[in-house]
Amino acid sequence: MTEKKQGKLTKVLDYLKHEDPFSKGVAFCPGCGLELLLRFIPQVLGNDIVITGTPSCSAPVLLGQNNQSWHTLSYFGTLMTGAAANATGLARYYRKAGIKNTVVCFNGDGTAADIGFGNLSGAAERNEPFIYICYDNEGYMNTGIQKSGTTPYGASTTTTPLGSASKGKNLRRMNLALKMAMHKIPYAATATLSDMGDLAKKLLKAKEAKERGFAFLHVFAPCTTGWGYAPENTIEVCRRAVKTNYFPLWEAVNGKIRMTKTVKKPKPVSTYTKLIKKFAHLNEADLQILQDDIDYEYCMLGGLSALEGECQLPVSSED
Amino acid sequence: MSSNKFLKHEGPWSDANDPLMCSDTGSWRTKRPVVDKEKCIFCGFCALYCPIQVMEMVETSHFLPDLGFCKGCGICAKECPKDAISMKPEGDFQK
Repeated sequence: MTEKKQGKLTKVLDYLKHEDPFSKGVAFCPGCGLELLLRFIPQVLGNDIVITGTPSCSAPVLLGQNNQSWHTLSYFGTLMTGAAANATGLARYYRKAGIKNTVVCFNGDGTAADIGFGNLSGAAERNEPFIYICYDNEGYMNTGIQKSGTTPYGASTTTTPLGSASKGKNLRRMNLALKMAMHKIPYAATATLSDMGDLAKKLLKAKEAKERGFAFLHVFAPCTTGWGYAPENTIEVCRRAVKTNYFPLWEAVNGKIRMTKTVKKPKPVSTYTKLIKKFAHLNEADLQILQDDIDYEYCMLGGLSALEGECQLPVSSED
Repeated sequence: MSSNKFLKHEGPWSDANDPLMCSDTGSWRTKRPVVDKEKCIFCGFCALYCPIQVMEMVETSHFLPDLGFCKGCGICAKECPKDAISMKPEGDFQK
């Protein structure tokens, strides 16, 4: 028998310094991007975090059921309208009481982009010392796949269904992470699950930045049930989203934007949409609208990152 | 002993000092990941991307899934750079 070619253990595993606080059998769908993210966060940041969250796919697991819980973290469940305000209260209490820990406000895109955006924006403006993580599955997946502000153009959901008068969402998505970066908070970043090393670095940077104030992380976490793709494609969907510039990876320190991953030859968006059933009905013209939207947003992001280099920032960057 | 340091109770009704809740998620599986130990180069990508984090290191030679909890999503097989993991129908293993 020939000598087995021994590879090297991926260095990303070195970021997983802490134990997984979740029990093994947790009630998430097979192939769920959220579960991977949720187990990854405490393994990187440490188990001394307090998570606060809202009704969402994460809530049944984070909140616990029938006198029992699924994990050993501290969790504070709250309403969608006041997620960031609750985290503010917790963070201020721990600061005043002199307890050193990390408050993580963990919400879906429904809370972050739509229902709880007001107090998210307020907490960012007041520069409250906690980490806000938005896991973006582009819709209200827990309540039955309704559209949200971050649902892209053309996606079919239960409130933007396919039919004689409707061909999926007819509006463009909002760029939540860019909006948060425009608050000039100490740290804002986008990350996804195909690049876990990048995600771990950004989590640690956010933990460091929360000593100076608000840190926002927008994590692209696909939903196998709601989007209609095979469970094994979760990571592939993330990877193609990055490679088509559908979801560019960048970070902003005090509003100064820097791309953390640039794609040399971006693929057409159809390489991404063909994996996913919610885009299956899109024809050439519809795909072109989606492509134009992606190109416009990426161009704007590139322009901003170039411009910030030229303009003198009133606040000095600490990157 | 619980590592929950800051709040005694998870919610109004749940308590992390009790044994943790654990579903029999292994019974959801329709396809089972089978690791080819010869092909495995011990890169660890399956363990990294496994949403349930059930890929366990066997010494320093290969990874094996904990079949008690593996939901059979197939991410490990898809992401393996050497195609060392194949998804076999669960029915083949029933007696």
